[in-house]
Amino acid sequence: MDRKIALVACFAFGVVMFAQYFSAHPVAHQVNQAVLEYWQIIFAFALVLGVVGFCQTNVTQVRKGHDRPYRMAALAGFVAMPLLATFWGIKAGSPFLWMFENVQAPMQSTVFALLAFFVASASFRGFRARSVPATILLASALLILLSRTWIPGSMSNWLPDAADWIRNNPSMAARRAILIGIGLGSLTTSLRVIVGIERTWLGGGK
Amino acid sequence: MTSRLLAAVHLCHFIAAIAATVSDPQWFDTARLPTLIAALVAIVIVIYTTYHGSTRDKFTVRRIAGLEAVEEAIGRATEMARPLLYTPGWGGDIQRPTTIASMNILSQVAAKTAQYDCRLVYPTHDPVIMAVAQEVVKSSYLHAGYPDRYRPDDIAYVTSSQFGYAAAVDGMITRLKPASIFLLGTFEAESLILAETGNSVGAIQIAGTDSTIQLAFFIVACDYTLIGEELFAASGYLSGDRSILASVRAQDIMKVIIGLFLIVAGVLATIGALYGMALSGWWGF
Amino acid sequence: MRLQTRHWVFASLFVLIAVVMASGIRLSVPVSPETQRMYDFIDSLPAGAVVLLSFDHEASSLPEIQPITRALLRHCFEHDLRPVGLALLAEGTAIGYRLMQTTAREYGKEYGIDYAYLGFKPQYVAAILSMGESISATFPQDYLGRPYDSLALLHGVENYDDVAAVLSIADGSFTTHWMEYGGRYGVPVIAGVTAAMVTTYDPYLASGQMQAMVGGLRGAAEYEKLLGRKGGGGARGMLAQSAAHLYVILLIILGNVAYFIKRRRSA
Repeated sequence: MDRKIALVACFAFGVVMFAQYFSAHPVAHQVNQAVLEYWQIIFAFALVLGVVGFCQTNVTQVRKGHDRPYRMAALAGFVAMPLLATFWGIKAGSPFLWMFENVQAPMQSTVFALLAFFVASASFRGFRARSVPATILLASALLILLSRTWIPGSMSNWLPDAADWIRNNPSMAARRAILIGIGLGSLTTSLRVIVGIERTWLGGGK
Repeated sequence: MTSRLLAAVHLCHFIAAIAATVSDPQWFDTARLPTLIAALVAIVIVIYTTYHGSTRDKFTVRRIAGLEAVEEAIGRATEMARPLLYTPGWGGDIQRPTTIASMNILSQVAAKTAQYDCRLVYPTHDPVIMAVAQEVVKSSYLHAGYPDRYRPDDIAYVTSSQFGYAAAVDGMITRLKPASIFLLGTFEAESLILAETGNSVGAIQIAGTDSTIQLAFFIVACDYTLIGEELFAASGYLSGDRSILASVRAQDIMKVIIGLFLIVAGVLATIGALYGMALSGWWGF
Repeated sequence: MRLQTRHWVFASLFVLIAVVMASGIRLSVPVSPETQRMYDFIDSLPAGAVVLLSFDHEASSLPEIQPITRALLRHCFEHDLRPVGLALLAEGTAIGYRLMQTTAREYGKEYGIDYAYLGFKPQYVAAILSMGESISATFPQDYLGRPYDSLALLHGVENYDDVAAVLSIADGSFTTHWMEYGGRYGVPVIAGVTAAMVTTYDPYLASGQMQAMVGGLRGAAEYEKLLGRKGGGGARGMLAQSAAHLYVILLIILGNVAYFIKRRRSA
């Protein structure tokens, strides 16, 4: 019964939102606005689900002794940040913002910076002239890398043009083809969800 | 007789009202008519392929290397007594079609891990995805006949922050040393970080995403990559679910239509450019 | 722990970038057509026009995003545009407000009259669509808790029809959502993105769904050059970026040399 109600609601909202897209009437706009507000309210409750789930999982794992230092650090941050925000606010000069700018932001930037090192190691490992297509790929990659580099002299005239040609022609064509395929896949999956053929989002089963 | 006449009159009034409504520019935005036509064509094609028996039954999908390797990856994890890590990436919500496609594949993978008693670890960045994944995996374990092997703690919400998520999953990969890693879903910049870390622990990696840029990273760093709509075909391929395969067939039909459209538009645009004729504006919607 | 090849790769890259950054040399780069296009687009907007600035990024990409954002904001203020900031990612909220505040101070701009900041709205798809109907209903209060109607520059700004453009500052795919959902209302979309995302948005730029784009540290350096300003951070990173690129090229060549030697030996 629960699944049937969910499927009917999904179909009803899917059809209504599909129909309102093609309407310029004020009623359609009001319906759109109302549904969007419901969506944001539901999202807020989903955050509560995340908070509860996070606490439960980490406390259980700490009790069992799995990855204790990491999970305790996570729980410490989970408790400290809301406390700081509640008692001292989140505006400029507050401890919350200090923690964000001096602890969280540098940590996140550090992990993002790992990407540069991993690109270097992946390039060293991955770009090998094993076959003719691989060699063409390798040559294109070298050309584009050089074009994004500061190189003095005459090479700086034709390199950017050559790299732009590769970006705007063969590479663009491949990307557009993949995007069309993905778009069609998204379209059919969405239609299946609205019509009720696809029920994975309900938690598996038929 | 009178009641039938009255019913007929009411029906005519109703049809006239609908016609007036649809033709009213306020109720129907005529600028979006081409989009409506395209959408209706797509709906008809999907419904036709899904419910037309002979079309549905004859269709098969070509061999996809990444999907042939799913069984191998799960078997490897079982033999090495190491867990299998499955991540849907950071970039998507549950409403995203890529995430739904990933959930479909998860249900197939979970059924196999239930059979082989292989540990399945599923970290996620979204609490709703976590809740859905828990239900999907639990249901798969139940249908496989091994509900006692289901571990809810292994399907956990980590954090919504992109690089917090990447750091957490990297930590899991480094400590748990999974034998197989599935990277299937919507990924952003964390894709290469996860893939390279997986590579460093010697895991076999099967990846698939809807982002063209992250696909390039996966192709370099992973053993198998599902490109574009192979991800959407994957669950049908693994399960043999006819409705999903019917959608793949519908996609193929729509691709042919788009291809023909592109050829016609290209020819007309070329003729228009050569002879100075205005032949290239009609598809501008 | 036995060091592997990749550890040497990581260590040498770190040393190279550290040395180059410490040198403090700034590179001057030629301006690309894409950056010039963004500059011309902002220049073409009438003085006093409202531009929505969406901070769709996290703190992780700050070193790359901040120079781009500063350069674009400076141009907006120099051209007497009225930027209205908002964030669709929670982490971008405080970052965006601080950037707008510090840049506005350079030009003596006043909050509420010359610029405003609406704050964070969750569920980005709903937020983008909702602003197409009514921005005041989506953000009844600004980031500082003041009612929407109390801000002078927002008088008469109801939805996207009253906005000259949306500038998405992104390190991910949020700009795509602006084009997909904001495009429904016909609002022009421009973007400042990280270098990794530039090729993602190339098809949209070519098809006209996006009007202009500036990407990466290089784009920031080029924009600073167009503005005739220094110290934004773009030019400073260019030598390190160029050195890293040349290093990766060297690695690729060395990798292939090793591959061919190995292949010859096994043959």
